[in-house]
Amino acid sequence: MNNRISRRDFGRLAAAGASLAVLGGMMTPAQAETRLRLIWWGNPDRDRRTNEVVDLYVKQNADVAIDPETYAWNDYWPKLATQAAGRNLPDVIQMDYRYIFEYARRGQLADLTPFVGKSIDLSDFDPNQLASGKVDDKLYGISMGANSMTHVYKPGQLEQLGLPVPDATKWTIDDYVAMGKEVKGKLPEGLYFSENMAYREPSLETWVRQRGKALYTADGKLGYELEDLTDYFAFWFQMQEDGLTPPADLQSQAIASGKMEDTMFVTGHAVFDFIHSNQLVAVQKLVPDDLDITMIPNQKDGKPGQYLKPSMLISMSATAADPEASAKLVNFFITDESAADILLIERGVTGDASIRERIVPKLSAIEQKIVAYLDVVGTHVGELPPPPPKNAGELDRALQPAWESVSFKKVDLKDAAKDYYEKAKVALERA
Amino acid sequence: MATTATGEIGAGGRRAAAASSLSVHLARSWRRNGAGYLFLMPWLIGFFGLTLGPTLASLYLSFTDYDLLTPPRWAGLKNYEYAFFQDERLRHALWVTFQYVIWAVPLKLAVALALAMALDRSVRGVGLYRAAFYLPSLLGASVAIALLWRLIFGADGLVNHLLFVILGIKGPGWVTHPDYALWTLIALAVWQFGSPMIIFLAGLRQIPQDLYEAASMDGAGPPRQFFRITLPLLAPVIFFNLVFQTIEAFKAFTQAFIVSGGRGGPVDSTLFYSLYLYIEAFENFRMGYASALAWLLLVIIGVFTAIAFLTSRYWVYYEDEGR
Repeated sequence: MNNRISRRDFGRLAAAGASLAVLGGMMTPAQAETRLRLIWWGNPDRDRRTNEVVDLYVKQNADVAIDPETYAWNDYWPKLATQAAGRNLPDVIQMDYRYIFEYARRGQLADLTPFVGKSIDLSDFDPNQLASGKVDDKLYGISMGANSMTHVYKPGQLEQLGLPVPDATKWTIDDYVAMGKEVKGKLPEGLYFSENMAYREPSLETWVRQRGKALYTADGKLGYELEDLTDYFAFWFQMQEDGLTPPADLQSQAIASGKMEDTMFVTGHAVFDFIHSNQLVAVQKLVPDDLDITMIPNQKDGKPGQYLKPSMLISMSATAADPEASAKLVNFFITDESAADILLIERGVTGDASIRERIVPKLSAIEQKIVAYLDVVGTHVGELPPPPPKNAGELDRALQPAWESVSFKKVDLKDAAKDYYEKAKVALERA
Repeated sequence: MATTATGEIGAGGRRAAAASSLSVHLARSWRRNGAGYLFLMPWLIGFFGLTLGPTLASLYLSFTDYDLLTPPRWAGLKNYEYAFFQDERLRHALWVTFQYVIWAVPLKLAVALALAMALDRSVRGVGLYRAAFYLPSLLGASVAIALLWRLIFGADGLVNHLLFVILGIKGPGWVTHPDYALWTLIALAVWQFGSPMIIFLAGLRQIPQDLYEAASMDGAGPPRQFFRITLPLLAPVIFFNLVFQTIEAFKAFTQAFIVSGGRGGPVDSTLFYSLYLYIEAFENFRMGYASALAWLLLVIIGVFTAIAFLTSRYWVYYEDEGR
């Protein structure tokens, strides 16, 4: 008897195997009564934590199955918009303060108010943080944690260079520049005093807020004057020309990549860098030396430039098939103790007082620095600005070529500022 | 109803005859071309099932304001007006794209032809060389190569290290400096000469060897042979490659997207048309305007292809035309 498998037998086997696999695939969802889709943007660390929370939730709720989806920030918004257009939004959505008004006002998100006090428990939640998820007095998202802008540095490096550790709440831009000039001669080749932050909108925002203005007004217009922007470009251009920040083509390497691992700070080209406080943990993973953070230096007699900002919010889609089950999942992320033990402060410091009390002792040294930092900042911050208007994202991205035309000396900085300012006004009015 | 009409008289009969002759005609045509259509099926199904619908939808959307979150609103010619009269960034993107097409396509074809001629001989292991030279094209459109390119040509990259070690020059960040970034992308495109090279190789094989033998007997050296025999006889292949590569170059996207982190920077120096289109559609959420841009690109490519076809009669000779 011929016991080799003929080609035809092989085909049959393959077909049988395939249909078994299909059957197997169909079996799994049959066990769960409710199927929820959850989407977030993140990094490998956040993905791991979030998936663990998902597993935990499914284990506790056998009738629920969850399909997780995750993307990098840049891919996330095109994806989400496309899903919204296809009326196919996931049930539970990680939201950003920049986008929540747009999605809420266009009817894409569900008002969570009816669930509060029932399936969503906000009794211990900081009302200030809660306000960041409100649109037209309805609750469209719950802050998953607070953060704020910071300057990050290596304490060991400062000591080695003979620089004092900045006094977070008192140091000024003059101190900052003086420090840079003092240390410039001592820096090894390729190391500069600071990352050039001109192209980053949060940096511009801090600058105009220190002057008592804002990026945008509540009615969606530019909230600062052309002069503020010109001064801002002039300041950072001077920093570059004085050799305190990297030359334009080196700095552009970080700008083009947009990734944390390519910043001038992480690649060893800068002593100071601008980050958001919740990013400290991720940056620390990329840098062997111990890190610390401090406030953004203020302008002379400046107002508080920083604010406590929801690093991200959790929202529910207006088209969620099972709102009750979706709300429960939202609640799990915000208030469940064992979920909090996994998530810790990776998404920022939670607004839930009892959760916060529970997790702080479990935090690593670097995470505790963030909590301590936010405690300090909390007493020196201004109000949460109104959420950015439609097309604000475009202005955020347009700042980069505008700044590069200055840094590469393609255009006089006054003209570049004027050009950006005029185009920004047009863009805000455009559909 | 495959039977032929009998000799019945009357209108009905004629109709039946006409109908049956049509069906005969169809049957014949099917016998003749059926296999062809069968082989075309995958493409036909793809075109009618997947491509045609979205294409027509995008034509409609190009006359609307559509931000993906709310239903499209009719806007008439507004998008086209904006593109024609107001959009400075679009003009810049067009300029960048033209520069890219004008440099990358001829350079790439020249390199492809030169290598095809070098490889068009029976040396031992020539197959291996051909495969090796084709390799960049297999990898070329991939994200990995664009990333690698960014590393090699970055301010801290391999090229600058070599320049410094060998020549002591401190080079700029090639992909991160607005004066050089586009050239780096052109170099990347030229490096992907594989597919036109293969087509040139096939074309060179078609040229009868006796022509060269006769020419060299008449005392024509290699340059003269190249200009008098190779180029004219290769003209149809050059024409094909030119049209094909021009269309590809106008649609260039991936390299610029990866190298500039999706922004077309620095200072918009690598803002290709299709990258700008993508940014408008998926970052600025102007799907209507982006659709208009897509149709304009189709027209632009169409015009350039038409120019190539119209001028081709003056420089492309087909052997079977008997000219």
